[in-house]
Amino acid sequence: MDRTLRRRLEARLSAQLQGPIRQRHDQTEIRIRPGDVPDVLRTVHDAVDLRFEILADLAGVDTGDVMQVVYHLWSETSPDWLRVIADGIARDDPRCPSATFLWTGAEWLEREAYDMFGIIFEGNRDLRRIFMPPDYTSFPLRKDFLLPDDAARSPGEGVRHIERPVAAARAAADPATGVRRARVS
Amino acid sequence: MPSRTARPNTGAGARPQGPPAPAQHRSEDDPRVMLERDINADMYEPIPPYPTQTERESEFYSSGDGEMFINIGPHHPATHGVLRLVLKLSGEQIVDVDPVLGYLHRGVEKICENSDYYHVIDQVDPLEYISSLFQEWAAVLAFEKLMDVEVPRRAEYIRVLSGELLRIASHTLYMGFLALDLGGLTPILYSFIERDEIMEMLASLTGARMLFNYFRIGGVNGDLNHEFMSRLGDWMSRAAKQTEANAGLLNENEIFVRRTRGVGVLDRATALRFGVTGGNLRAAGVPFDLRRAHPYSVYPELDFNIPTRDEGDSLARYLIRVDEVRESIRIIDQCLHNMPDGPVMAKLPRLLRPRPGRAWGACEGPRGMMGVYAVSDGSDQPFRFRIHDPSFMHLETVPTLLPGNLLADTMTIVASLDPVLGGIDK
Repeated sequence: MDRTLRRRLEARLSAQLQGPIRQRHDQTEIRIRPGDVPDVLRTVHDAVDLRFEILADLAGVDTGDVMQVVYHLWSETSPDWLRVIADGIARDDPRCPSATFLWTGAEWLEREAYDMFGIIFEGNRDLRRIFMPPDYTSFPLRKDFLLPDDAARSPGEGVRHIERPVAAARAAADPATGVRRARVS
Repeated sequence: MPSRTARPNTGAGARPQGPPAPAQHRSEDDPRVMLERDINADMYEPIPPYPTQTERESEFYSSGDGEMFINIGPHHPATHGVLRLVLKLSGEQIVDVDPVLGYLHRGVEKICENSDYYHVIDQVDPLEYISSLFQEWAAVLAFEKLMDVEVPRRAEYIRVLSGELLRIASHTLYMGFLALDLGGLTPILYSFIERDEIMEMLASLTGARMLFNYFRIGGVNGDLNHEFMSRLGDWMSRAAKQTEANAGLLNENEIFVRRTRGVGVLDRATALRFGVTGGNLRAAGVPFDLRRAHPYSVYPELDFNIPTRDEGDSLARYLIRVDEVRESIRIIDQCLHNMPDGPVMAKLPRLLRPRPGRAWGACEGPRGMMGVYAVSDGSDQPFRFRIHDPSFMHLETVPTLLPGNLLADTMTIVASLDPVLGGIDK
């Protein structure tokens, strides 16, 4: 854990941070609103005491309630990975600003997140499907997309490879929608 | 289905003109029989008729004067898997490229989200089938952070030992395939001798020849055994010499050097903007290697160098790999001398249920940074399992690197970036 990184981030991003900065193992995590993504990424990339120049990963996450876009960044100024979570993206109309103005390489990562979650990255000039065929209509990694043989998420239909108590299994799956109740934040 | 506008007639879809051929008996296999039937002519077109969706796609598929499209792949021996490249050419010069992915997409992330933590390890194995241990390594790194597991030191050394062996196998194969794509058949035969010996060695250690399923959360699946150690000893006695001999086949080959030097130059700033990692980034002059940049496992205790080059062309990317093989042999040597005693597995429950949380684990594979972002919701399955593959980012530079080069350089540039389509398509 890099305590000084925490102080530097608090000094630079006090206006944009949502909630406390969390640190665990070799990771520092900040949470921002999706609208602040360009400002925050620009700041952590350009500020002389941060210089997070390498975009390690860009991932979409569907928590069941909201969508998130998660950036992992690396810098030589800190021994920690920086995780930026753009939180609270509406599930029915997921939109997030693109990071391609800083990292051209984010273009395909955003295409992948669009393909899998349907998140629309505003500013990406090539936002089309990348793995699934162009006439495909679903978004496979969303939590309401169930596998045809997904016995795990529908209690009573099939046998799981590792059994767990029926009550826990029923609590985990919402019978009305089949959406797995999120306990992640 | 609406078809694209302003698409040129590339010739492949044209029907035969002129008077009908005289009646004669023809076999059903004769392609002319197919052409005479009234069927949808779209099936002969190199580009499937989907409407364009984005600005960039419309720009690509509208061709100017004298430009034509050529389709390479998905089934082409020099595309390292099932990659399809749609090239826009002006004469023999490449104007633009549109890589089409997804022919090998298996939805591994979704499968992992529906498997328990132990099963994830063998689900991620076939992604990077050339170097599958590293994908396992990234996954166990993330899971061990998620569960606060302490890995025994002997297990860490065994991981480094087997990982570096596999890195040598992967780099050796890369050198052979790069030469093969340029038309040289000999180096691949020598590459396979080396790689096969390493694969047999790892088979005696892990029990499987290619998809090892060897790393476990909290250690490795089995301790070193006699057969592995004796094979390794035999191989180490000639590894350095053999590497130099294999590299000498190409390093001093004038045709090879002339076809790779100055071709596909990826400069430092572009490489950073594209998220390129691994040997391709180090060939552009950035000494970014996770084994030093973000140390994990026992790499801080080992003595090795990070080779870098400034040219950033295909030849530099090749030479970086040659240097890395030398460094890997040094690491293996140190592992054998420093190998501690002790257990190879941490004590863990049979059903893993980590507390809710998030973890990112990344390791340096032969191609670059292999990453895994795992989110736990407290159940026995990962809530989100994100796989980051370096080849994906490297392939993304192809539309930038290719334009201006000749058609024949496509193979040089794509092969020198070392993509593995199993990892790209997930």
